[in-house]
Amino acid sequence: MKRSKSINLDSMRKVKSASPLMRPLTLAIASVTLAACGSSEEEVQVVSSIEDCKVSTTLTQAQCEVAYQQALQEAERTGPKYSSQAACEAEFGYDQCNRSSQGSFFTPFMAGFLVSNLLDSGRSNRYNPVYRYPKSGSSDRIMTADGRVIGNAGQRSYKVDKSNLQSKPTVTRTVSRGGFGSVASAKSSWGGGKKSSWGG
Amino acid sequence: MLRIPIAERPGWQKRAQEFGFEFHTMYGEKYWDESAYYQFSLEQIERDIESPTEEIHQMCLGVVDKVINDDVLMRRFCLPEAQWDFIRQSWLNGDPSLYSRLDFAYSGKGHAKLYENNADTPTSIYETGFWQWLWLQDNVDAGVLLPHSDQFNILQEKLVNRFKDIRYLTPDRVLHFACCKGTPEDRGTVQYLEDCANEAGLSTEFVYIEDIGRDAKGNFTDTKDQIIRFMFKLYPWEFMFQEEFSAQLGHNNIRWIEPPWKSILSNKALLPMLWKMFPDHPNLLPAFFEDELHLASGIDSLVKKPIFSREGSNISFIGDEKGVEASSGPYGEEGFIYQATHMLPKFGDSYTLIGSWLVDDQAAGISIREDRNPITQDMSRFLPHIIV
Repeated sequence: MKRSKSINLDSMRKVKSASPLMRPLTLAIASVTLAACGSSEEEVQVVSSIEDCKVSTTLTQAQCEVAYQQALQEAERTGPKYSSQAACEAEFGYDQCNRSSQGSFFTPFMAGFLVSNLLDSGRSNRYNPVYRYPKSGSSDRIMTADGRVIGNAGQRSYKVDKSNLQSKPTVTRTVSRGGFGSVASAKSSWGGGKKSSWGG
Repeated sequence: MLRIPIAERPGWQKRAQEFGFEFHTMYGEKYWDESAYYQFSLEQIERDIESPTEEIHQMCLGVVDKVINDDVLMRRFCLPEAQWDFIRQSWLNGDPSLYSRLDFAYSGKGHAKLYENNADTPTSIYETGFWQWLWLQDNVDAGVLLPHSDQFNILQEKLVNRFKDIRYLTPDRVLHFACCKGTPEDRGTVQYLEDCANEAGLSTEFVYIEDIGRDAKGNFTDTKDQIIRFMFKLYPWEFMFQEEFSAQLGHNNIRWIEPPWKSILSNKALLPMLWKMFPDHPNLLPAFFEDELHLASGIDSLVKKPIFSREGSNISFIGDEKGVEASSGPYGEEGFIYQATHMLPKFGDSYTLIGSWLVDDQAAGISIREDRNPITQDMSRFLPHIIV
């Protein structure tokens, strides 16, 4: 065979099937099983302290201490950064922010960190920090360092994309934009305004 | 190699929508065309396309190794001196490549002849790796094509596996994908590659080329102010080399796909260089630098191609084929090369070009483009193929 043996059509689909309930039940069950198998989601717990980690997860005291330290470091590196206390508090609430140890930024307090419920080692999971993001009129939401909401505060566990258990990019302050793209823009007057590919 | 008419799949446009293939029709013209397909024998695919593709790729790597160590040649390839270290370092480091596409003129008989190497920003990969695969599957499932019909198309499988390799070589980094604004074709291509990267377990982000920023230390950033450490860009190196942020290239720790050394292969100066190093190779056409045209005295007709050009722009004919209308475009200021004319084969009213894909150094499948004109351009129609 000179072609790809199989392609997972479900993962290639951009518009989800309009009415999944119309499908025969057996097929629906089969597809659910398949989805779970190749799923990119994973169940995690949010723990708020080393003590909480020891009590609610399978990690030992020593592992929880390491996890907490790693989450603090990740928070420093990847967490939201603001130039003033007021700007940070406007998002995260009064008294929820402090000056980062790097000095020049203000960051929200870490509300806890993510621990996977899966007992598979051999993978280099990160213990990433999470934040409580207030929402008026309802319970706070739990948010990762790059701003993805994973659910409401207080849940026993959360279904998250596996990428939330991997290392996140470092956050910095951008001083200028638009330093790429000028050659394409100069050449794009060709073709009567038709924007064609810059590939080939 | 035959061109065979076939009924379109009923409601395929809806299926395209379901899978997010949005550029099958562009500017009111058909781009994806399933009113016919091309049929090959296994021997034609393996002997005439697959094996020359891998051989030419190795020859191209030989050219990179020669050019990179020679200042005179680096200048001939119009690569800006300020970027030489950046380009050289990526070759010396062995920075991994993801993919390339070689374009061939091939009629089903004789040797496929290399037109050019799209080594830096090849497009039409979604149509090749996924959409024509689905076309075959649907037609076999519907009983329209015989169950043993095959296709030369291991592209998606190999892309996912290559992303796994690259992930292993680049641990713990998020891969940023980038293309220009305002081109649905490029956005679709990048989305497809992002899907393949996710399938391989990579974490990904997207940023438009025009939105890339920098911090005070010279790190590149996305719109969320996250530092970019690993980037796939569907944007030519030779453009980036001329732009404001090029001063930072090589000074910020980024793994690039394609790597900077690919700028030597996506360059038309590759063609005369290949001819010098591998003269009379059956899959090459004679090709010459502008100041060496005396070497072409025995050749009746030449094609003039800009050193840098994309999508068949600014191509013209000199000599016997002068009657063919030249293509227009914004390229050519860096100079031209000349390649012996070898017209595309004609099937009915259409000139047909074969794109042969490589993932790293392995041949991975083909795509077929048709045009009413002998110069294939970005609006040329894409047709599926089968092997029987």
